Amino acid sequence: MQKTRLPAVISTFIVCYAFWLLLTWSVQVQELAVGAVVSLAVALFSARFFIHEKAFWLFNPVKLVNALAFWLCIFPVEMVKANLDVAKRCFGGCKNVNPGIVKVPVDLKSDYGQAALANAITLTPGTITMEIAEEEGQTYYYIHWIDVTKPSGQEAGDAIKGRLEKGLRRVWE
Amino acid sequence: MLLRIVIDLLIAVGLIFALAGTKGILKMPDTFCRMQASTCVSTLGVLGVCLGGLLYAIFVMGSASAAVKVALIGALIFFTNPVGSHAIAKGAYQAGIRPEKKMEIDDYGRDFDE
Repeated sequence: MQKTRLPAVISTFIVCYAFWLLLTWSVQVQELAVGAVVSLAVALFSARFFIHEKAFWLFNPVKLVNALAFWLCIFPVEMVKANLDVAKRCFGGCKNVNPGIVKVPVDLKSDYGQAALANAITLTPGTITMEIAEEEGQTYYYIHWIDVTKPSGQEAGDAIKGRLEKGLRRVWE
Repeated sequence: MLLRIVIDLLIAVGLIFALAGTKGILKMPDTFCRMQASTCVSTLGVLGVCLGGLLYAIFVMGSASAAVKVALIGALIFFTNPVGSHAIAKGAYQAGIRPEKKMEIDDYGRDFDE
């Protein structure tokens, strides 16, 4: 367990306070003051879980733009395509499935990047990340895939997460 | 008028995908495929309804606070849903649940089962 560091607390505090402002949506002094106290308490307790690497990575404008581009452009396109595919299978009687668990290599290095990629894969209907494993310096995901068309390895990886990984690499590396 | 049509269309699209996901949850052959279908409900289903609600809150109700809350509900579902899906899928597999029909490729079983 790592220690609580001041930059991590400040960073967490900013995120919590922004969240509070959005939820309450008022600028009365009381609300602002209570929000600050609560955010500070939460930040003190949770900073060490929330921030692991550089504390202010979230506030770097280039990365922020890349992150927005990923979550608002690249990811929704992939998600809609996969949604249409799975919806077609559902309405087509649910017999047209060929499930399996494949193992694909992943090149992202940072913890956040790997977690974000795993979440993006799980959010795409038709694929669920089941485990992240590391073997000899290379990270592997075990992914349950509803329609296995390619054997495990690089090809299956490209089919499942090729574009997602490219987009995320610009955010975290 | 046009705005109301757009809003209704967005909500209808969301509901159609929710219907597809629900049918999948009831009819898919095994646990993991059922989970795949449930993702349909929580992605495009939620996205369609939330976008419709967002437009409604901004242009019909004219309330910024309601709009922000709708957007936050959508964002929170998008952040928390994959974590839950992942945990349920992994838990189900480790509890010994397997599809009736053998999976074509099962690397997880190969690498982690004794």
